[in-house]
Amino acid sequence: MQARKILPPKNAVIQFFHVSKQYPGGQLALDDVSFELPRGDFVFLTGPSGAGKTTLLKLIFREEIPSQGQILVNGRNVASIPRTKIPFLRRTISVVFQDFRLIPRKTVFENVSFLPRILGADLSRQKRLAQEALDRVGLGHRMGAFPLQLSGGEQQRVSIARALINEPEILIADEPTGNLDPDLSEEILSIFHEINEQGTTLLIATHDRWLLERLGKRILTLRAGRLADDSQPLSTTEGETP
Amino acid sequence: MNLWQALVYFLREAAISLVRSWRVSLLAVLTIGVSLFVSGMLLLVSGNLSGILADWQARARIIVYLESDASEDQITTLRKTMAEAPGVVGVEYVDAKAAGENFRRSFPSLSDLVEGWKSEPLPPSLEVSLDPEMIDFAWVQGWTEEIRRRPFVEMVDDDQDWIKQVATAVALAQGIGIALGLVLLAAAMFTIASVIRLTAYLYHEEIAVMRIVGATEFFIRGPFYFEGFLQGLLGGLLATGSLFGVHYALKARYSASVWGGVFLEQAPSLGAQGFLIALGAVAGLLGAVFSLRREDLAAPTEDP
Repeated sequence: MQARKILPPKNAVIQFFHVSKQYPGGQLALDDVSFELPRGDFVFLTGPSGAGKTTLLKLIFREEIPSQGQILVNGRNVASIPRTKIPFLRRTISVVFQDFRLIPRKTVFENVSFLPRILGADLSRQKRLAQEALDRVGLGHRMGAFPLQLSGGEQQRVSIARALINEPEILIADEPTGNLDPDLSEEILSIFHEINEQGTTLLIATHDRWLLERLGKRILTLRAGRLADDSQPLSTTEGETP
Repeated sequence: MNLWQALVYFLREAAISLVRSWRVSLLAVLTIGVSLFVSGMLLLVSGNLSGILADWQARARIIVYLESDASEDQITTLRKTMAEAPGVVGVEYVDAKAAGENFRRSFPSLSDLVEGWKSEPLPPSLEVSLDPEMIDFAWVQGWTEEIRRRPFVEMVDDDQDWIKQVATAVALAQGIGIALGLVLLAAAMFTIASVIRLTAYLYHEEIAVMRIVGATEFFIRGPFYFEGFLQGLLGGLLATGSLFGVHYALKARYSASVWGGVFLEQAPSLGAQGFLIALGAVAGLLGAVFSLRREDLAAPTEDP
């Protein structure tokens, strides 16, 4: 079935309308969740473990489909996108994971340049794009290294470079600082801030209270699958650049 | 990425995977190699038997021995009748004197037996040559029976009966060979399919990453298909090389013996070698396709 393009309200890039997700075992991961994410926004998604954060993110890039409700990404109903077209959706949404998800047997360059390569970029263009993306995260000098030769923070920065190489409209991250110490978390947060400044919409799932309070951004709070809160936090450092 | 770039990428990834998991790859290559070698050996033997059979058929004759008192008219009429029959390429009259000379020349050690006979030891005969392409065993049998019933015909010596038996045996051997070859090939395909599934399982996290960054199924599965193809191709090359080597070694050793001549006369033809290699490659590819046909490789959930 051809996905029907619905014109989104001005600036809305992600829209959830009464979305519920129940897994085959009967577990209700999300329950009637609705929200909108304006273009260029920087939003945190928080909640205790098992609240449904990861499920919500997976629904955005069609790793899962909702049991009820609709999800629009750039006005397109994600659930109705034919299976063969899912890769094209995912090329507009980059994902950063807590466990980095790098390919150990490939070099940093090969990991980062994977998408340009499958899109047919020649080697020199792949190298230029990879260099630019890695320079943005301060790892332009580690192109030939393998992931396991890098520290945790460096690996996370490589995964962010991979996410940035295609200039995505949306970047979503699932606990991106979960495996990092506070200094490295600060570094990653700073990179996210810069990415957002350049116009990319960010949705970051975290339960790191320090991270939530640090930037003073909008926070969506999930509890037992329901959207319990959608608010700007009270913070002494609100609006401060990390 | 254009098709050429994609193929180069698939080939590179498949080659890397073959080297990285060389033990399981070697198992797959050996399995298909052995299967194709056995099939090739059966094809070689049956091909040689068919060649020998065709040679026998080409040289096979029907010899119609005539009564000594058969008149010239009777002989001429019978010769003309036989020459007009379908599949007959020649009818040669051999008189009693020529038959005797042939006998003495062919069997000099037995010539003493007929020394001193007042008459020639063998009767005159008509030797009928047949076109092997046109031979219909049933028809030839009926035809020779009809000739045998003629009053001036003493005996009909027909090679067709035993050639038919040999042809049946060869056809049976070929049938068994093909069936055995198919079973072995299916086993080889199953092995390759298992190896590909195992490889896909080993790389499932990598595949999940590829999916998340937007790789298409074509791009994800291509290297696995190529890997199966390469395994089959290598198995085919191994089988062909082994077949050639074994044939060469056996021929050098046994060519003087009867069975060596029968089974090892001709080497595997270029066509047969190409066929085995192509069969291996296709079997490997099909094994890979089969192994991933329902494999979602950690694919996204089904369409709603």
